[in-house]
Amino acid sequence: MPVLWQKSARLPLAAVLGVFFVTLLSGCASQPKWPDSFDSTTLLTEVPFHPQKKYQCGPASLAMMLNAQEVKVTPDELVDRVYLPERKGALQVEMVAAARQYGMLVYPLEPHLESVLEEVQAGHPVLVLQNLRFGWWPQWHFAVVIGYDRAARSLILHSGTEERYRQPASAFMATWNRSDRWARVILPPDRIPATAEPLRFLMAAHDLETTQQTASAKTAYKTASEAWPDQPAALLGLGNIAYQQGKWSEAENYYRTLTEKFPHISAGWNNLAEALARQGRDKEAAAMLEKAGHIKAVQPDPTS
Amino acid sequence: MQAVRCYTRSVSAIMALLMILSSIWATPASANIVGTGELLTEQRADIDREALMNMLEREDVKSTLASMGVGEQEVRDRIQSLTPAELADFKQQLAEAPAGEGVVGIIVLFLLVFIITDMLCATDIFPFVNCIR
Repeated sequence: MPVLWQKSARLPLAAVLGVFFVTLLSGCASQPKWPDSFDSTTLLTEVPFHPQKKYQCGPASLAMMLNAQEVKVTPDELVDRVYLPERKGALQVEMVAAARQYGMLVYPLEPHLESVLEEVQAGHPVLVLQNLRFGWWPQWHFAVVIGYDRAARSLILHSGTEERYRQPASAFMATWNRSDRWARVILPPDRIPATAEPLRFLMAAHDLETTQQTASAKTAYKTASEAWPDQPAALLGLGNIAYQQGKWSEAENYYRTLTEKFPHISAGWNNLAEALARQGRDKEAAAMLEKAGHIKAVQPDPTS
Repeated sequence: MQAVRCYTRSVSAIMALLMILSSIWATPASANIVGTGELLTEQRADIDREALMNMLEREDVKSTLASMGVGEQEVRDRIQSLTPAELADFKQQLAEAPAGEGVVGIIVLFLLVFIITDMLCATDIFPFVNCIR
């Protein structure tokens, strides 16, 4: 019996292994191609520079990112928030969390050189994580991309103790690849990153909502609802924030707009019913709940 | 084989328990309203699912699947039942691929992984795969 099982499993397994190795082989990297649309030199001169102290590239980089958005903070003040002495470094998740504590929206960039360059071109410095050594013996390093030079095919970074350090694109890509191309833009919630995609931006706004940065989250949802009127989550977010603050009629208004603009989204009807019930309008609430149930019956959710 | 099946049973019991526990923990901030995150996850999954469906239109993907004896409609049905987490996992694999290369391999590999789990009777979604018992 075990022999039979092995035999029949061999064929697809071989196929899987074959596909896997083809994928691996095609992964051999070539020289990075410089994207055509960035043909000049750009330098964000207003981004201040803080040279890092021993191992503390995290706090220094984060301070530069925040200072660029007119948040007054020094690397020393950030050390307690993001620096882990026993690891001699900071973790990405803490860098992001600390930026949110200052009410900033942290937007994760698509893992492409174009995205980084586009943000810089739009005047937004980019926080990147690099691995300066090897995958099996890493030396993680945070730096801030503040410009690029097409002629020299270089990126310009505030990195470590080097101000306006010019790093060839090939070296940048090699070190950035080893961090899975981690890159973040940190902006006030009323501004939209140049490469922003509606859902990603809304998820970043939702991260502010869940980390109790309610005022910032509200601003971010408002910004999103104006920039992308076709996104229902922005209205739902605004309604949910009002609901959580106990502002039932404000929540009702947002939910009502949501149901008018996006009648096929059951969450709108459901939450509207809740907001009405909280105001003691049980009859109206029941009618809305019925509508929510009707939509669910029409469009079965494949995940449930 | 018998040993493997016993093992599967206990694993599925543990998984079921985990699912129950995680669904208890995942209650939103307010019990009765739908959270913003829930809607976003749903919308993200819809977009990913659509993207994956569009990839099935590629001739090279079609022919590779056909040469393995997998019908397109079955694959489409399977994609409809992918969870947001599975879709996110697929997107991750696709993002890690070098641009333009090996995409077919990743799509086919991803779909095969699900067919193989069906073969091993962990799930029973593909009726055309004969479960080996």
